[in-house]
Amino acid sequence: MFLLMLRQSFFRGRRRKLLATSTIILAASLITALMTISIDVGDKMSREMKSYGANLNLVPKSENLPLEIGGVDYNPLKGEVFLEEQDLGKMKEIFWHNNIAGYAPFLKVPAKLEGEGGAAVPLVGTYFSRLVKFAGNEEFRTGVREINPFWQVKGNWPDDGRTDQVLAGATLAHKLGLKAGDRLTVRYALAPTQPEAVTVTGILTTGGAEEAALVAPLALAQRISGHTGKVQSASVSALTVPEDRLSRKARRGADSLDSLEYDRWYCTAYVSSIAHQLEEAIPSAAARPIWQVAASEGTVVNKIQLLMVVVTIAAFIASGLGISSLMVTTIMERSREIGLMKALGAADWEVYLLFLSESALVGLIGGLIGCGAGALLAQLIGLSIFGSTVSFHPIVIPVNVVISILIALAGSLVPSRLITRLFPAEVLHGRK
Amino acid sequence: MQKIVLETVGLTKRFGNVTPLDGIDMQVREGEWVAIMGPSGSGKTTMLNILSCLDTLSEGKYILDGIDTSQVSEKERVVVRREKIGLVFQQFHLVPYLTALENVMLAQYYHGMIDRDDAIEVLNRVGLSHRYDHLPSQLSGGEQQRVCIARALINQPAIILADEPTGNLDESNEQIILDFFKELHAEGRTIVLVTHNPELAEFADRTVRLHHGKVVQHAA
Ligand SMILES: Nc1ncnc2c1ncn2[C@@H]1O[C@H](COP(=O)(O)OP(=O)(O)OP(=O)(O)O)[C@@H](O)[C@H]1O
Ligand SMILES: [Mg+2]
Repeated sequence: MFLLMLRQSFFRGRRRKLLATSTIILAASLITALMTISIDVGDKMSREMKSYGANLNLVPKSENLPLEIGGVDYNPLKGEVFLEEQDLGKMKEIFWHNNIAGYAPFLKVPAKLEGEGGAAVPLVGTYFSRLVKFAGNEEFRTGVREINPFWQVKGNWPDDGRTDQVLAGATLAHKLGLKAGDRLTVRYALAPTQPEAVTVTGILTTGGAEEAALVAPLALAQRISGHTGKVQSASVSALTVPEDRLSRKARRGADSLDSLEYDRWYCTAYVSSIAHQLEEAIPSAAARPIWQVAASEGTVVNKIQLLMVVVTIAAFIASGLGISSLMVTTIMERSREIGLMKALGAADWEVYLLFLSESALVGLIGGLIGCGAGALLAQLIGLSIFGSTVSFHPIVIPVNVVISILIALAGSLVPSRLITRLFPAEVLHGRK
Repeated sequence: MQKIVLETVGLTKRFGNVTPLDGIDMQVREGEWVAIMGPSGSGKTTMLNILSCLDTLSEGKYILDGIDTSQVSEKERVVVRREKIGLVFQQFHLVPYLTALENVMLAQYYHGMIDRDDAIEVLNRVGLSHRYDHLPSQLSGGEQQRVCIARALINQPAIILADEPTGNLDESNEQIILDFFKELHAEGRTIVLVTHNPELAEFADRTVRLHHGKVVQHAA
């Protein structure tokens, strides 16, 4: 009988339920969308953050931090140790090789310009955008254009395969009055080697130290300095997950983890575990996470997730209040019915049960529909903000349905107290 | 002498400084049909609300079927209401989204036992054999009131209390309802009926006249 009442009340009073159901649908879809996105936002943001540059630095193990002031390296090259250029390809052979989005080697040598007072300029050799072979004959395109999309060139990028093209950093170009198309002759500053004639193909803006240097294909820097096949360092851009407790513990050294933690750490794409694996792959190198980048990725993601939680709670409260006021109206509208049930001998709790069950049903239906709508909404948001779809996590469905039912119940709880205060003698005789 | 089903002793009801009922002594015996009459505002509805345990009294005693209702808790009064009393109102109060049959079964449900056949039988008795599956909105006023009477009968209550059951009906429907009450009376049911209509009261065993909250006449 109870179920019958519930069903009849629900289906014969459909219009009344429609408003409540749509309130829940709205809230549920919002919550679903936010949940779906916040699960994915870490990954998405992390990819996004890659456009802000590399997050790992690969340097020779014994090298001290380079002493660099105003873009000029005061650490003399002599006695310096190098990385082998050909070793760098091993980065793509580690466990997390798919997460290595790109790398760029660097070799910075002091150079002099012929003529015009023989100005001393640093010459930085790197990859601009170049196909690298690894693991047999797989290829992958990498270089500063891949990992530092914010590097901008007025003019053209040099060709990685040529040794007669350079970019002039914006500051340097300003100081020496260089422009695209100018011809220069550069010479190694530390030892008398063959001077090289080069063409400035463009002016480079990076916001960093490179603006005070000539930036050339790696091969030119190697040839001019005689460091064939050597590089000083490499910047690596890796897709990482935000830092958490485990990774922070690991920062104190991999030894501080027990074997279980170690396994979990090793198999998670933390910037530190990727650094660890890079060092395993290239024993002569030390991988240094650039913590500012790694950490700010984590905090930005955390803040976004916090924001989503706040919005979710707001949606929860707003729809709860909406349900609440709808419930008050419903109870007013149905006061005769309630009075009648009581007059027929229904206890208060029996009336409560009917109304709360109706609410729960509204929550269930609204939650299910809202889940569907929310999943679509999440895709839309994903496409418009990150330019890619968001993966849907099935766990969102039960969580959301439960939340929707809770909203509906919580919203109904307070107004249903009106039921107790409703005296059948008053409503049944039309007195109120 | 039949046993006393309903008895009030000095029953008084106050709303603030209004005293619609002022020291009513009344007895109803098993199988009796008592009509309560009186001018508007004399306290008839207030009286019936108390008799049907929908309201509490301020002073005095009200004993229904051996239970002193002024002594029991609100919860127990709910039980008394559903065990002992069949109620018919002036307005036809039916649950709008339940069919005629379901409305009758609802009373069975709160009473504790659902028996569909029983419910159908009672509806047949009130002449609604083709109307089980109609919603209240699809029934005429007279038909709705007959559903209400069927609902009041279904649980074999100790007493049937009706507040102007024909007040909203035309003459032909009034006659149908009146015939029912006669029939029920003939069966030996105990009935207390509030009415304005002297014709209705004529068929009662006796009439209690109220005036300003006092009994002014017990007529046979
Ligand atoms: N809840 C209440 N609060 C205050 N006064 C009330 C209340 N209920 C009834 N009264 C008063 O009690 C008196 C009796 O009312 P009651 O409804 O019992 O009259 P009645 O005999 O049924 O009248 P009618 O024939 O018009 O239905 C009236 O004066 C009414 O104003
Ligand atoms: Mg009245």
